[in-house]
Amino acid sequence: MSNVCEDQVYSSIFRANSKTLFNYIYYKFGNEAKANDAVQEAFVKLWENCSKVAPEKAKAYLYTVANNMYLNVLKAEKVRLKYADTSNDRSNESPEFLMEEKEYKQKLDNALDSLPENQRTTFLLNRIDGKKYAEIAEMEGVSVKAIEKRMHLALKSLREKIDGI
Amino acid sequence: MQENYLAKWLNGDLSEDELKEFMKSEEYASYQRLKEVSSTLRAPEFEVETALQQLKQERIGEAPKVIALQPYKKFLRVAAAVAVLMVGSYFYLNLGKETFSAELAQQTEVTLPDNSEILLNADSKVTFNERTWDKTRKVSLKGEAFFKVAKGKTFTVSTSQGSVTVLGTQFNVENRKGFFEVTCYEGLVSVSYKDTERKLHAGTSFMVVDGRVVDASQPTTSTPSWMNNESSFERIPLKFVFEELERQYDITVKTENVDQSLLFTGTFSNTDMKMALKSISAPSRIKFKQEGDNVLFYAENTP
Repeated sequence: MSNVCEDQVYSSIFRANSKTLFNYIYYKFGNEAKANDAVQEAFVKLWENCSKVAPEKAKAYLYTVANNMYLNVLKAEKVRLKYADTSNDRSNESPEFLMEEKEYKQKLDNALDSLPENQRTTFLLNRIDGKKYAEIAEMEGVSVKAIEKRMHLALKSLREKIDGI
Repeated sequence: MQENYLAKWLNGDLSEDELKEFMKSEEYASYQRLKEVSSTLRAPEFEVETALQQLKQERIGEAPKVIALQPYKKFLRVAAAVAVLMVGSYFYLNLGKETFSAELAQQTEVTLPDNSEILLNADSKVTFNERTWDKTRKVSLKGEAFFKVAKGKTFTVSTSQGSVTVLGTQFNVENRKGFFEVTCYEGLVSVSYKDTERKLHAGTSFMVVDGRVVDASQPTTSTPSWMNNESSFERIPLKFVFEELERQYDITVKTENVDQSLLFTGTFSNTDMKMALKSISAPSRIKFKQEGDNVLFYAENTP
């Protein structure tokens, strides 16, 4: 029987979940330091309760702890994201196009920032971390349908903001 | 269009008809671009291994280490106990143990607690227990030594080849590789070698060469020759003569075409090496060459 108290099991849970947990908190509040703290805090709690949490429940436990930590406490800040460098494939693009591309990204950044926290988190977990709706539903502790709703609304309002409707 | 169709489209879950309908809409291009550009978004850096190290060192502290060490805890406890026992018994058993030795080309004089005297010849060692000396007079000997034993309880010299017990007397014990000789100069000495016991009166000796008991000549002096800085031999194989030479001068002896089992009778000086080399080579009709600490004895093949 594997046990979360075993160093190997604990370390592998950390390696499998810490990055996404960090991103999850960051998408919500836009604060890297707080996201780092949340990861550390959640894993300390997991360690303290390692004998009570089964390895297959560890993931849900971590998200619950991280969620509760900043719930109604932290004011969301601007989420700053980078874009993958794609200039190599587009070296033949005109300066006008590149300028327009930059402007578009600027608009997307602003639009993401104005999204409600739960819609932004759902959208980014899917777009950046490639998480399926079912996985996001598990993290957030809601139904898959609720996540689909958030995604739909996120896409709708992002497009409206960008196109200036 | 079904509920949440944008989410379904992004997930590739729209039916063909629905997708065709959506693609005709004017906002489709906007959504398509949103889908493409948002897929190039990147989250801030997060170093998983660094964060894990930090977590273990700063937050969890010693806890994981304790768990990792647990399988060894019992072993460590036992090992510590064994170590204490071993060190303790070593000190207990060696309490009062005294060792004296003479290096190559040296002699050492030892006075025992009861004023008995031991003179160690070159490359020899005696060990005795000072603490229990009053009860048992016993010394261990490696090499060769002359004993002048004060009257009293039984005095035992134990060696790897045999042991010698006396009451009060003067005698010499030589315990070298393949060579064991006891010579009594005064009083009575009892030698036990393997299963036999032999009493030696003053002026007699007992000798074993390569495991065979050999008739030894009677000593003509009152002390062993080495105490007068000479090494004397009577019908002794050359091999042992060369070994003694090595011990007295701290040199290395090599031979060429020399039959080392030839018996040698004679004496060599322990202080004058040139003389000693001549003393050995002349009667044996062999020659020698000396180079630093190496001496070569060789026989010239005469036709």
